[in-house]
Amino acid sequence: MAKYDVAIAGAGPGGSYAAKTAAELGLKTVFFERSRKVGEKNASGCGLGQRWWRDFPEIMEKVEKLPSYRDIHSCIFKIVDEDDNLVTTISTTKTKKDAERIMYKGIPRAMSGTSIYRCDLDPLLADLACEAGAELRTSTLVTDVMKENGRVTGLVTDKGEKIEADIVIGADGAHSIVAIKSGIRKRWRKDQITLIPQIDFKCNEQRLDDVIGPAEWVWFGPFCGAYQVNFRDGFHLGLGQWLDIWALKPADMIKRVLKIPAFQAMCRAVDAEMREYQIHMLPWMEKPGKSYADGVMLIGDAGGFPCPLEGEGVWHACFTGKYAAETAAEAISNGDPTTRTLQKYEAKWRQPPLGLEYEYGKEFVALWKNSAFNPEFMKKMVQFLGELQWLNFPSPIFDWSDDHMSSFNDHLGHVLDLLPELSEFAEKYVIPMKRGISDTNREKIANMISGSISAKLPGFIPDWPVKSIVRKKLGLK
Amino acid sequence: MDNQITKPEDFFKFKIKDFAFRVEGADPGDFITYTESKCNGCGECVLVCTVNLWSMPKDAKKAKLSSKYKDVCMECAACYAVCDKDAIDFRYPNGGAGIIIKHG
Ligand SMILES: Cc1cc2nc3c(=O)[nH]c(=O)nc-3n(C[C@H](O)[C@H](O)[C@H](O)COP(=O)(O)OP(=O)(O)OC[C@H]3O[C@@H](n4cnc5c(N)ncnc54)[C@H](O)[C@@H]3O)c2cc1C
Ligand code: SF4
Ligand code: SF4
Repeated sequence: MAKYDVAIAGAGPGGSYAAKTAAELGLKTVFFERSRKVGEKNASGCGLGQRWWRDFPEIMEKVEKLPSYRDIHSCIFKIVDEDDNLVTTISTTKTKKDAERIMYKGIPRAMSGTSIYRCDLDPLLADLACEAGAELRTSTLVTDVMKENGRVTGLVTDKGEKIEADIVIGADGAHSIVAIKSGIRKRWRKDQITLIPQIDFKCNEQRLDDVIGPAEWVWFGPFCGAYQVNFRDGFHLGLGQWLDIWALKPADMIKRVLKIPAFQAMCRAVDAEMREYQIHMLPWMEKPGKSYADGVMLIGDAGGFPCPLEGEGVWHACFTGKYAAETAAEAISNGDPTTRTLQKYEAKWRQPPLGLEYEYGKEFVALWKNSAFNPEFMKKMVQFLGELQWLNFPSPIFDWSDDHMSSFNDHLGHVLDLLPELSEFAEKYVIPMKRGISDTNREKIANMISGSISAKLPGFIPDWPVKSIVRKKLGLK
Repeated sequence: MDNQITKPEDFFKFKIKDFAFRVEGADPGDFITYTESKCNGCGECVLVCTVNLWSMPKDAKKAKLSSKYKDVCMECAACYAVCDKDAIDFRYPNGGAGIIIKHG
C-alpha cells in the first residue's frame, strides 16, 4: 500500500492547483482523475475574470497561448421579449480609469478577461502540478475514502487500490464522492445546486472576430438568462436553473433561446454549426458548506465555492486548492492532521479576497432568484430596459411617430408606470445591499447632497446641521 | 453526424445523443443503482434527465431506469441530486469510460 502526504480526488482546476501547491511545498502528492485525459469530462463557460491577471498572472500568460483563447473586454446583453423580439442591446464598457485598476507588466488588465475551453485549461494546470513533482493518475475513479476511528486516512479507487495519505483533498466537483463518503455532507439541497445544459457551436473564426470580437454575450428575457461564451473558433450557449424550481426538460430550456430570430441571425453571420451537447451540475449557494473534517478538506465545487452572484467557480477552485494545500503542509509539519489544524483552512478561505465573495451571498442569491430566474419579473424588466433606452440620448430624436415632445412624453409615461412595480423589487432585493457601499463613496454622496441643499438655503443657516442630518441618513458618523 | 443538419433550428429535430461522444469499448460498470422499493413516484428524475433514461410507465407508481443507460447517460448526476427518497445511487462510470467532452 502506497503512502502519500496528500491524496487528491479530481484533476479539475481545483485539484490541479492544490497538487501544484502541495508539491511545491515539498509534499509527496498524488491526484486522481476519472477521465483518460485531464479535462475530458468537464464543461463550463469557461470565462476567466479579469482578476486572474491580478492573482494568477503567470497562468494567464500561458492561457493566452492556448488554441481556444479569446481575449474578452466586454459583455453584451441582448434583451429579448416574450415574443422573441430583440428589444435592445446593452453592454459593459471599457474606460481607461476602470481598466487601470489591475495593471500587469504596464498593461491595464481590469477590463480584460478570457474565454478558454476546459480541454485546454485543465491540462495546462495539471501539467504545472506534474512539473512541480505531483503524481497524476488518469482513468482512475475514486469510489470511496478510507477511514480510521472517524478520521479520513486515504482514498479507494475503482481498481480496488487503497491509497493511504496523511491528508485527503476532495476536488471531485459538484457530485463529490469524497464529501459524501467522508460524511461531511449528503447530496446538495435542491436550492443549492443548479443544472446547466449547454450547446457548443463551431464557427468561422474570422467572422467571429468581425461580428463578435472580444466580447461575451448574454441573452436575457422571460426565459431566464443564457450566456454565450465566445472562444477562438466557437461558442457555448448555456443556461441553468436550481433543482428546486425545475420545470422543463433541460434541452427544452435551451430551445427557448435557439428559436430567437436574432440568435439565429447571429449564428448565420458567424457560420455557426452545433457540434456538441453537454450538461453539468453547478453548486450555486449563499455561502460554501462545511469544508473540512478529520483528515480531509473540500475545495472548489465539492465544497460549494462558486460565486453566489454569477456562478463563476474556476478562480474559487484554484484559491481553495492553494489554501487547502498550504493547510495540509502545516498539518503535516506539526504532525496534526485533525480538525484542530484543518480548521485553519476555513480561516484562510474566509479572508479576502475569497471570503469577500460570500459576504453578500444571501442577498446575491435572492436578487438572482427573484430577477433573472423569475419569468414574470423578467417580462417587466425587459419592458423597462427597452423604455429606458428610449429616454436615452439620442433615441428620442429618432422617434418620428409624432411631434418629438409628444412621443418623448409617451416613453416617459411608460417608464413612470413601470417604476412602482420595479421599486418594490428594488426595496426588497437591492436596498439590502446598500451596506456594501464604501465609506469613501458615502462621504462623496453626503457632501454632494448636503452641498446642494445648503446652496439653496438662506445664508444665515449654518451648513453643519444639514450636513449632520444627511450624514446620519447615510449611516456616517 | 450529418454536417448539413447542425443549424440551431435543426436542434429541434435531433437526438441529443447525436451531439455526445463517448469512449468506445471501455466498460463503464454498473454506475447507477436503482432501488425501486424506495421510489415514491414523484417523477422528478423523469423531468430532469436530459436523455430520457427515467420514465414513469402508465399505471405504475414507480420510476423505471432504461436498460440502455450505460450507453446513453450524460453523467450529470441530476437524477441522484433530485431523488429525496435515496432510490437512486450514482457514482460515475469506471475510470477511462463513459462520455468525452471535446469542447468543454
Ligand atoms: C455549465 C457551466 C458553466 C460555467 N461557467 C463558468 C465560467 O464561465 N467561469 C468560471 O469561472 N466558472 C464557471 N463554471 C463553474 C466552474 O466550472 C467550476 O466552479 C469549476 O470547474 C470547479 O472546479 P473544480 O476543480 O472544483 O471541479 P471540476 O472542474 O468539476 O473538476 C472535478 C474533476 O474531478 C474529476 N472527478 C470527479 N469525480 C471523480 C472521482 N470520483 N474520481 C476521480 N476523478 C473525479 C472530474 O472528472 C473533474 O476533472 C461553470 C460551471 C458550469 C457547470
Ligand atoms: S426521483 Fe426518486 S422517488 Fe422520485 S420518481 Fe425518481 S426514483 Fe422515484
Ligand atoms: S446522470 Fe443525468 S443523464 Fe444520466 S441518468 Fe441521471 S439524469 Fe440522466
